[in-house]
Amino acid sequence: MLQDQSHIDSTSQPMETSAAGLVDRLTTSLPKIYRSYTVRVFLQAIITIWAVMSLTFVLVRLMPGNPVDVLIEQILTAEGISYQEAYDRVAASFNIDKDATELDQYFQWMGDLLRLDLGTSITSPGTKVIDEIARFLPWTVFAVGTGLLISFVLGIIAGMPMAYYRGSKLDHILSFFSSFSTGVPNYIWGLLIIIVPGIAWRWFDIGALRGTYDVGLTPGLNAAFILSALEHAALPVFTYVIAILGTWMLSMKSSTTGVLNEDYVNVAEARGLKERTVIRSYVGRNAALPLFTQLTISIGFVLSSGVVVEEIFVYWGIGHLLFQSITVRDYTSLQGVVLLLTAAIVFSNLFADLTYGLLDPRVRVSGEK
Amino acid sequence: MASSQMLEWLVSLPLDLLRGLVGFLRRLSANKPGFVGFLGLVAYFIVTFIMPNYVEFDNEPKLDQITGPIGSRIQLAVHRDNPHLDSWEALAGKTVGVVRQTGGPSFIEPYQDQFTVETYRWTSRRQGPGIPAALTDLANKEIDALLIFSKTVNQVIVNQEDEELQALFQDNIIISNPSLGPPHLLGTDTQGRDIASHMVHGGQILILTALIGGVIATLIALFFGSLSALAGGFIDKFFTALANLFLAIPQFILLVVLAGMIRFDSTLYLGVIIGLLIWPALLRAIRAQVLSLRERDFVEAARSLGLSVNHIIFREILPNMSSYVLINLIFSITIAMYFQIGLVVLGLAPISDYTWGVMIYFGRSRGTLYNQDGATMALAPVLAIALFQVCLVLFARAIEEIFDPRLRSAG
Amino acid sequence: MPALSPETVLRVDDLSIVYRTDRGDVRATNDVSFELKRGEAMALIGESGSGKTTISLALIRKLPKNAVVTKGQILYQRENTVQDVLGLSRRQLQAFRWNDCAMVFQGAQNAFNPVLKIRKQFEDTARAHGWTDKVAIRKRALSLLELVRLDPERVYESFPHELSGGMKQRTLLALGVLLSPQVVILDEPTTALDILTQRAIIDVLNDMQRQLLFSIIFISHDLSLAAEMADTVATVYAGEIVEIGAVDDIFYRSLHPYTYGLLTSVPTLEHAQDILQSIPGSPPNLIAPPSGCKFHPRCSFASEQCQAESPQLQAESASHLAACWHKDRLLASREEGA
Repeated sequence: MLQDQSHIDSTSQPMETSAAGLVDRLTTSLPKIYRSYTVRVFLQAIITIWAVMSLTFVLVRLMPGNPVDVLIEQILTAEGISYQEAYDRVAASFNIDKDATELDQYFQWMGDLLRLDLGTSITSPGTKVIDEIARFLPWTVFAVGTGLLISFVLGIIAGMPMAYYRGSKLDHILSFFSSFSTGVPNYIWGLLIIIVPGIAWRWFDIGALRGTYDVGLTPGLNAAFILSALEHAALPVFTYVIAILGTWMLSMKSSTTGVLNEDYVNVAEARGLKERTVIRSYVGRNAALPLFTQLTISIGFVLSSGVVVEEIFVYWGIGHLLFQSITVRDYTSLQGVVLLLTAAIVFSNLFADLTYGLLDPRVRVSGEK
Repeated sequence: MASSQMLEWLVSLPLDLLRGLVGFLRRLSANKPGFVGFLGLVAYFIVTFIMPNYVEFDNEPKLDQITGPIGSRIQLAVHRDNPHLDSWEALAGKTVGVVRQTGGPSFIEPYQDQFTVETYRWTSRRQGPGIPAALTDLANKEIDALLIFSKTVNQVIVNQEDEELQALFQDNIIISNPSLGPPHLLGTDTQGRDIASHMVHGGQILILTALIGGVIATLIALFFGSLSALAGGFIDKFFTALANLFLAIPQFILLVVLAGMIRFDSTLYLGVIIGLLIWPALLRAIRAQVLSLRERDFVEAARSLGLSVNHIIFREILPNMSSYVLINLIFSITIAMYFQIGLVVLGLAPISDYTWGVMIYFGRSRGTLYNQDGATMALAPVLAIALFQVCLVLFARAIEEIFDPRLRSAG
Repeated sequence: MPALSPETVLRVDDLSIVYRTDRGDVRATNDVSFELKRGEAMALIGESGSGKTTISLALIRKLPKNAVVTKGQILYQRENTVQDVLGLSRRQLQAFRWNDCAMVFQGAQNAFNPVLKIRKQFEDTARAHGWTDKVAIRKRALSLLELVRLDPERVYESFPHELSGGMKQRTLLALGVLLSPQVVILDEPTTALDILTQRAIIDVLNDMQRQLLFSIIFISHDLSLAAEMADTVATVYAGEIVEIGAVDDIFYRSLHPYTYGLLTSVPTLEHAQDILQSIPGSPPNLIAPPSGCKFHPRCSFASEQCQAESPQLQAESASHLAACWHKDRLLASREEGA
């Protein structure tokens, strides 16, 4: 993540020296450092993905009751065909060349992955895993993304007064809330939302909100579909907001507390700037800066944190696909989903590393050149 | 390892701990939320570890009686020992419709998967087709039996020609009573059993499992994190890289996948697995902490005095890390709690122990969670888990504030 | 409001400030009074923790939250209207700050918002005080940046981290006089800068004061700087002004043993802290200050009277006041030494 800041320090030197010297320095050393940093970060990401891919490969094959055998067994008993036929069918769905050694299989599988070929689903033959993912993923991205963004904005808004009025009643109340928000698991929040306002108070009909949109609507840019999609996403989104909000509040509070101690805030006030200007451009902007990096990083993690929530609300996102693949033992889909969720984390980390400089002018110099 | 130092440390440990505990409690009482959290945890301990000795687990299904006012909750359950059980084979594949006067869907939960039950959805008199429509369905033989429950009517209507079916239903209706108050403080579940007794017995294993997970993760992180920070070089690089790699895999997902493949046959075993999964973030935190402590003045001083490595580790670094480690332990317990209950809710964990998580699972799978009158069955464990987590977090935050906050910010 | 002589910009009367802390009240300043004339440069000298900074922060009402002004007033005159700074409303205070009295803080390294360009920070300041014309702001800012000997165009469009320490300090000076304040407070304007930059800053300050005609209050350990820049010097000890006078009076005819101690200790070039080597002991605890003259525990002339009674500031000449029971003995010992 950000532990390696050498590239920042080395490039944010003052430009006291002559312009020529500066240009000289920038053109020679900067790109080198920057490029090597990028390369390093990329390399790390790729290695991680590769490690996870291999782990998945091994995991699926080392599991007690090897899924390949289990599946062959299943097909044999269900359809009464010959072992060879069953094996062929399974091999096809797993992308396995039956004559190949395990090592060959491994390389074969890796090669397919590089072409984004995740194989075909075992339980619904003919369906490509990649298509399955494409069907379920957007809903998760939509719900989780919305929840993450709303909670981020609210957290920034709520975290600042906590720092401004540290020790006040407001701070205590908001801190207390944040303990609830961070401590209570997101799916427990979901259950509470279902039970209390949903079932006990009948504010909404939880049964009608299953799925991602009302049955019978055609997905597309029509008002009925969009409204329905929003309606169905509302509860999961609300759950994510409540469950993530506390973390943002605390982050923003500690970040703001740090910024409030900075000289430039003091000077800004001494300059007679309007309070709003100080809060917005001086305190808020600087305090929120590190949070953007956190936001980028958390995108990857939150994608996979919604599995239970999606199951509770019967929201058909990637978590639902994962759960389905597990319950019906669709190992190819499972492999695909795990790989995807890991890749999300790795790439959001990578993205955070690479975009960090775009937000903070202190690092931006190195990003541009 | 110099055993004398180890011994010295072990002897002085209880005394130090006791002294620290008294001082800690005094400071804790000044921190209101933290104190509330602490009292809450004590209460949880009493309820889940002491009370089970005095409260009996109500495992006696009361299925042969109708308890409580009609209409308070609708559940159909059939006793295992029902003499008609044999003839149920004949019902397989047939449809039973349920109509409720108002409100959401009603659920019928058969005890065995002997026949298909479908819920006949009925939202309200104004919107829905109403009982007449259901009766039409019945007449058309689209459904075989219709159960009507309301404040005034408690009726099973079955297609007239099938008398045996009609009798079967009429004889085996159970309406359990979730009304609060004695003798059932939290009402009864689908089988007429006391929920309060389940609550008392349902926490211990969960908390133990979370504790095991948290302690294992903390021990791993403490050992390898300190080793990594103190040894430096290749060892440090190796463990840091390993932790980073594990951090890239969504750990809960990994657990879900594992759970789908291996059936965890014991809850405590699940705790071990969770502990083995959640250490990486902890390792990084502890490594950073040891690194910063190593540079601290008093450690430098000890080193320049020529004190041994053991002395430095056991007398200088560890005591100064204890609060930090404790906070991390508490947070990993909350994570372990998240993991195991999440797994149970998904139905991927053992349900042999009747824990709060299993209560939620049944609440969902048997539909009581979606029933206005039956919601306590699910609400009680949900709240119990939520408040337990909150108490842990409040307590950890209090420790964080009580012990020198600069200790951490420097890391 | 009492009438001030037309020459007076700022008059501080009996200013007493207390910091409320867990361990008790810290009496940071005690009955501080002084007057600042138009175009005058006044130096506050003394050890760190003596209360110099508290005085200067009080002038722009930028004291920490736990500080309470228990007594006194700060009168400020502009165009023949006098107002008490301590009595300004929030809005009046906002207008007063920087427009009338600007403070160039110690450690300009972090005085600028790192995410905003220098231009934006000049504009913010000007706009908060009613300027609307960006072009006019730019023109004024560039001329000031030129005055502080910077490359105006480039600095104006820079981010703070692109400037060196000395450049930031000079930029802050330019920003300080952007709105033509009557009073500029400089808190340790040259510490943490190398000698050449220090020199440059002093020259710039002298230039600016000559051209822009503002009054300066500056706080410094650095006596050579005080000697060079100040018209008036006030010695602050334990929250009190123990001696105040024209720069020559203080440097050549000091009447307080503390001032004398400061002067006779030879400053090393860079480490201003070392100057107090010749004064034994350490600054007093301001929660429970010593009785009588607060300097007596460290004073070689101390007598019983010093322990019992606190000396008042007494005029030696029209412009030179000192609070000491034993001025004569100090003078005598100095003549002996000389």
